[in-house]
Amino acid sequence: MDTEGRAKAFEEFAGAAGAIMNPAVAAWKAQGGRVVGYFCSHVPTEVLTAAGLLPFRMRGTGSTGTELADAFFSNINCSFVRNTFNLALQGDYDFLDGLVCVSSCDHVRRVYDNWKRNLGTPFLRIISLPKKVEDAQVGWYRDEVAILREAVEKHFEVTISDERLREAIRLHNRTRRLQRELYELRKKEAPPLTGAETLAVMVAGTAMPRQHYNEALEALLERLRGANGQRDYRARLMIVGGELDDPRYLEVIEEQGGLVVTDAVCFGSKAMWNLVDEEASDPSEALARYYIQGQPSCPRMHGDQPRRAAFLMDMVRDFRVDGVVGERMMFCDLWCVEHYMNDLDLKEAGVPFIRLDREYNASAKGQLRTRIQAFLETMGK
Amino acid sequence: MGMDKKPLKDRALERYKKERDWFAFLLQAVDMMVTPEMKLQAKLLRILLDSKQAVVDCVEQEKPFIAGYFCSAPEIFNAMNLPWFMLMETPFLAASAPYILEDIQGAEDMGLGTDLCTAIRLPIYYIESGMMPVPTAVIGLLSPCDGTTMLNQVLQHNKAWRDVPLFCADPPYTSDERATQYYAVELRRMVSFLEQHTGRTLDMSRLREVCEESNRTYKLWQEYNELRRAVPSPHGWEIGGAQAFAISQCFVAGDPRCTDWFRQLVECGEIRVREGRGANDRVKEKIRLLWFDIMPYGWIYEFMPWLEEEWGAVIVMDMFSNFPYTLIDTSSEESIFLGLARRNLMEVPMIRQARGTAENFSSDIVRLVKDYKIDCVIWPGHMGHKDGSATAGIMRETCRKLGVPFLHIGLDLFDKRYTSVDEVKDRVSQFFTGMGLG
Repeated sequence: MDTEGRAKAFEEFAGAAGAIMNPAVAAWKAQGGRVVGYFCSHVPTEVLTAAGLLPFRMRGTGSTGTELADAFFSNINCSFVRNTFNLALQGDYDFLDGLVCVSSCDHVRRVYDNWKRNLGTPFLRIISLPKKVEDAQVGWYRDEVAILREAVEKHFEVTISDERLREAIRLHNRTRRLQRELYELRKKEAPPLTGAETLAVMVAGTAMPRQHYNEALEALLERLRGANGQRDYRARLMIVGGELDDPRYLEVIEEQGGLVVTDAVCFGSKAMWNLVDEEASDPSEALARYYIQGQPSCPRMHGDQPRRAAFLMDMVRDFRVDGVVGERMMFCDLWCVEHYMNDLDLKEAGVPFIRLDREYNASAKGQLRTRIQAFLETMGK
Repeated sequence: MGMDKKPLKDRALERYKKERDWFAFLLQAVDMMVTPEMKLQAKLLRILLDSKQAVVDCVEQEKPFIAGYFCSAPEIFNAMNLPWFMLMETPFLAASAPYILEDIQGAEDMGLGTDLCTAIRLPIYYIESGMMPVPTAVIGLLSPCDGTTMLNQVLQHNKAWRDVPLFCADPPYTSDERATQYYAVELRRMVSFLEQHTGRTLDMSRLREVCEESNRTYKLWQEYNELRRAVPSPHGWEIGGAQAFAISQCFVAGDPRCTDWFRQLVECGEIRVREGRGANDRVKEKIRLLWFDIMPYGWIYEFMPWLEEEWGAVIVMDMFSNFPYTLIDTSSEESIFLGLARRNLMEVPMIRQARGTAENFSSDIVRLVKDYKIDCVIWPGHMGHKDGSATAGIMRETCRKLGVPFLHIGLDLFDKRYTSVDEVKDRVSQFFTGMGLG
């Protein structure tokens, strides 16, 4: 694929990842479609799709400051939350017909409280997400899924039958399978796409109507399957962390010669590595099981650190990773301690690891460049 | 041939004993004072020392004991006759000890981020460096903050601790009947876990006795809190809330010694109210303050006396001193577990405000400001309380509606290097001056 063809192939995804409102969402709205925002990978978005709504994952893309949000949050709150809330306060999220929050972390869960008091979005819910991953918690979350389902039905005056929910599950699983195929291409010695390009595709998947996205992704895969890959990198890197939705962050890393070949971040593999059971008799329970026990978990899920560590090691092995970059938003206690443990585990396994604290906006590029250069050098690359 | 555990045990007890000795030293000092309030302090310190010694004895004699938390239904630990210590005991209770800054530095040197709550960093440091007694089993905590969840996971990751059985009750985010029922089942699972791993059994009639005793304690606590409504308030930072919380939740929950302590506390308060005496006999009460967080334990003695003496500002109420501890209905096993679930999920301090949605931050401020004739509210903004700091705007708005000045500082309650004590004093002085208080 030549440079022009490459840019064309990724254009729609890059556009969707690079802004809040994108042409696909605008077209959806123009046709009378309704959009519901959501925070965090644990929201069962299939319920929204089954209701004929467009789930849109919340981001702070394009935010240039937090002046408005700072009246509600403080300087020890993560900049993802502050930037995203700032956009909401200045009206960038006025196109939302609803918002679903989840009790994910200390910063994100307070978005719900502040949103409720300051913004007039007509449908607003918070889901009580358990902190353990046992069967009892699947039971609790099954009820939470059912409560959300009922609330959506009532507010949007729609019916979400089991069959419609199963259809939505199949549609979302189709996305996951296609995205997984995209990741499989990155296992090659010469991957046909960069980490930044991959992240743009993944972020776009949370900001476009699903059917349309799946078709666009199928077309992209078709082009990439036979495409030449990149061989002139210094090291194969994996990125691990939480909220990372800015492909420019990975571009800076890749400009130094560290090709990001895989990840364990919220917008990346964590969102699609496993599938929801399509055959389960109770689709609500299938969703609960997936979001509690199925997908690679967030550090907030107690008792699951060994599984997360094993996932990381499997990724390192399967994608032939030379070094791991642990990214973390400043003031995030979850990833602070998780990376502390990752560091110990990877050291024991002989895998180089670097922890990078960052702000949401990719502003400190110079510092990132220097840290990555030094990391690659210490790896002898 | 088994490994010699003695060096490990000795190291694990080294800091713990040092902490015990620090309290013994404080007791010597307090014992020299003759006021009824200081006698109460002494009584508390004796109970605390007994509790610490019980853990030391368990380690040395290899008897079962557990690590847990104040909000994990300590009434059950007591009913099962299980000695226990709180995993965050040092920052909560011994942050004034002379070695605390050295330990915080140790945590920093380990590579834990400096923006991670100090109350979490310290126990992680003790665990990772082998300076905490390894218990028979752990009852972990999954609320109110992200840090506590991660602390448990460090326990499971640490090589010396990973084989220690650990149970955490899962706290729902909601606060309705469904949540109470769910949490009650979680507490029953906790009991089964403790029975399985400690060899102790729970006798329901004993748990009923303990809950009835704790009900007597809480009745007295509520009575005492009524006394603090008086103008001037009979007590300030020095006696009352922090100690009441420690004794009733951390050391002897549902124990007659605890009830007796509260009875004396009420008597002390009554005398002062009757005589019209305020918290500090040398100072006239000018500002009635709601300190809406934990006390700044790491530098309490450098700040709190100044507050009273420089400004006549008395901490009439704080986050740990006033909550609707609903009495537990002891009529059946089910009602006991439901009562414990409600208390430990929705009513204990800090969990009450920070576990779920922000309603209790604002509703507690409204209630306390009105009930206690509060002149101003200070949210210290501890660097670990991220959810609370994300509620600062809500608290500010609540106070604005009440017409009560609100100050958000931004500090570390345990580490005075974060925001120096002088800087905190400056901020508070500017606030009082600007608001025309004092």
